Amino acid sequence: MTIPRRRFLALSSAAALLPTLTACAGGGRTSGNIQYWWAFNNQLQRDFFQRMVVDAYPGPVRVDLTVKPNSSIDQLTQTALAAGTGPDLVATAGPAQVAAYAAAGYLLPLEPYAQKYGWDKNLAPWALAASLVDGRLLALPASYETMIMLYNPATLRAHGWTPPQDRGAFEAICTEAKGKGLIPVAAGNADWRPASEWWVTMALNHYAGPDAVHQALQGRLPWTDPVFVDAITLLSQYYRAGWWGGSVEDYFTNSFPQLYAKLASGDAVFMITGSWALSEILAYFGTPAGNDATWDWAPLFPLRAGVPALVWDLGIGSTLSINAHSPIPDATADYLNFQVSDPRRQARGIAEAGLQPAPVHLTKADFPPSADERRSRLYVALSNAATIGYTTWTFFPQQTDTRTYTYFDKVFTGQLSAADYCAGLDKVFRKELQLGKVPTAPAPNGLAQ
Amino acid sequence: MSATIAPARAPSRRRHRPARRRALIAWAFMLPLIAINALVVLGPSVSALYFSLTDWSGLGSARWIGLDNYLELASDPEFLGAVWHNILWTAFFLVVPMAMGLFGAFALTRIRRFRLLFRVAYFVPYIMATVVTAAVWKNLLSPQLGIGKVLGINALGSTSLALPAVAIVNNWAWWGFLVVVFLAAMQDVNPNLYEAAALDGAGAFGQFWHITLPSIRPTFMFLGLMTIIWSFLSFDYVYILTQGGPAGATDVLSTLLYRDAFTSLRAGYASAIGVVMAAISGIVVLTYLVVRKRKGWAI
Repeated sequence: MTIPRRRFLALSSAAALLPTLTACAGGGRTSGNIQYWWAFNNQLQRDFFQRMVVDAYPGPVRVDLTVKPNSSIDQLTQTALAAGTGPDLVATAGPAQVAAYAAAGYLLPLEPYAQKYGWDKNLAPWALAASLVDGRLLALPASYETMIMLYNPATLRAHGWTPPQDRGAFEAICTEAKGKGLIPVAAGNADWRPASEWWVTMALNHYAGPDAVHQALQGRLPWTDPVFVDAITLLSQYYRAGWWGGSVEDYFTNSFPQLYAKLASGDAVFMITGSWALSEILAYFGTPAGNDATWDWAPLFPLRAGVPALVWDLGIGSTLSINAHSPIPDATADYLNFQVSDPRRQARGIAEAGLQPAPVHLTKADFPPSADERRSRLYVALSNAATIGYTTWTFFPQQTDTRTYTYFDKVFTGQLSAADYCAGLDKVFRKELQLGKVPTAPAPNGLAQ
Repeated sequence: MSATIAPARAPSRRRHRPARRRALIAWAFMLPLIAINALVVLGPSVSALYFSLTDWSGLGSARWIGLDNYLELASDPEFLGAVWHNILWTAFFLVVPMAMGLFGAFALTRIRRFRLLFRVAYFVPYIMATVVTAAVWKNLLSPQLGIGKVLGINALGSTSLALPAVAIVNNWAWWGFLVVVFLAAMQDVNPNLYEAAALDGAGAFGQFWHITLPSIRPTFMFLGLMTIIWSFLSFDYVYILTQGGPAGATDVLSTLLYRDAFTSLRAGYASAIGVVMAAISGIVVLTYLVVRKRKGWAI
């Protein structure tokens, strides 16, 4: 059989392009259902979510849940949205990402649905305010988190300590613990390089105070203000004293499993971390770990006189939006409402799977009787928060946030002064503020501006 | 001697048709590759060049900012630090694994028994998944589990030791590949040259220096060239072992590019870093081509 030359050339070209075009077309919808991508920390969470949040949805349109890896869901979503496809319900890691998607026109405004479903009544005002982009509601907070201090009660008892309620008590315990060869604060960033920003968040909100941070986020106070420089200096001193992770070098190689194990064994005294740890910690304490260790938590304490005694550093762990290209926005909004409403389902998610809840108001009565008292106590306290602080990963624009942890590592390793760190932060922040990239920060009393 | 020059025959369409047909068929076979390369190499390269002149976030539209990204790069301490780390990395890989590869291959040419066994043993780390190798070494270097505990050194946590430590791990997986390639080249060297050299009283080092090295120069130069290019693209071991830490001590251009593109959402700036990386590789290749032409090397 002979093939004419032109036909052969045409066929060759088509054959070459076909796989590429097929690949490009991937990611489109395969059914009329609501397409939803989400990532989970473990199988328990995944099973609960499938059962209680996906299968239990009574709406007329079913939901197709596609599980993506935690490490790449953001990039996958970003790529799909850029290609004009992606899920109907768009998940992001927080307001800074929402702002970027909003600027690109990927998200549908939610105001009509907010009014229809009464989201302003169901969800915490601070969380809704933090989800605004240029005054427009383009995302709903799907989960929120705070900073807490974990400890092993037996370790504190053995040394005659109690959870510190001020800087003096904290420093006294750290000094004594270090002298005894213990790690005062189980900390490290080997598994998650941005972890350093957790403690920068603590220093800013509990030394400088939420009022100062709020003013700075609005551009009314520079990050070079001495109160911020002093906050960073203090935290850096803690690191250099070997309080964070045992030593500066160990801090960079401490992994989370090692740190939890040290907390359980009594080799470490405290762990200052996010509320997400309440689901991670279970594997290292009690029966699952083959020990009789227990854990508890306490709120963070002020590091300077004049800072409120109880400040809850709040962060939005994830948000949900509606894809501007979704052919079924109304059905998607209905499902979105289902997911972020019902305090009892949120409380069950906390109790049974360690899921982070949407910022709905929770009371003790919302939790099932079997719920771990430590978890329910935290979220009931958060629902009644009088003063909030600002996590850097939620309220800082993207470039400033990255700088927060990459450059702070240079401060406590002695490569950069606290003043230069703050000056660099301020420079990048001013630029992003000018470009309108700073997420809306509600006032410290939890109410929107 | 006389010669007559016959008048040139007019070109015949008939005689040229097979040649043209062959050329067309050759192009037809190349077309798929050209199409794919245009799609996945040329297209992104041109767009990266364009985006490097914008403030693109990686999402939505881009705003033209001219050379601002490049001007910022020139004074960005993170970028300059990463370039310096890449230079150190390149120097290390041009010297240590190349020397180990040459020595290992030369040693293998001198033995007859177990040669295959050693070749396999050297090569196995190269075919292991990077993530596996890195995880094994992470534990080995851990100050709580492995060598680090015994020696009391936390290599991956030290700002002065982390880069050499990562380079050593990468080298562990890399040098065996060089051994195999150098060995293949050395086996092509005419054995009579060694016999003649031995008769002239040359020892093992003399034979290596005066016969082996000049004979495998094309392979040596090629691997040197590729080492420079690959060194400026290195990413995997650095990212898995340290993610650029501690405190940026192992940040190289590729980890910086990744962070700017996907964490800071500065795809335009990341594109500028990518263009600089490509430019460095281009300069290296051009320099090599010029030297090759001047020296009259075949490769």
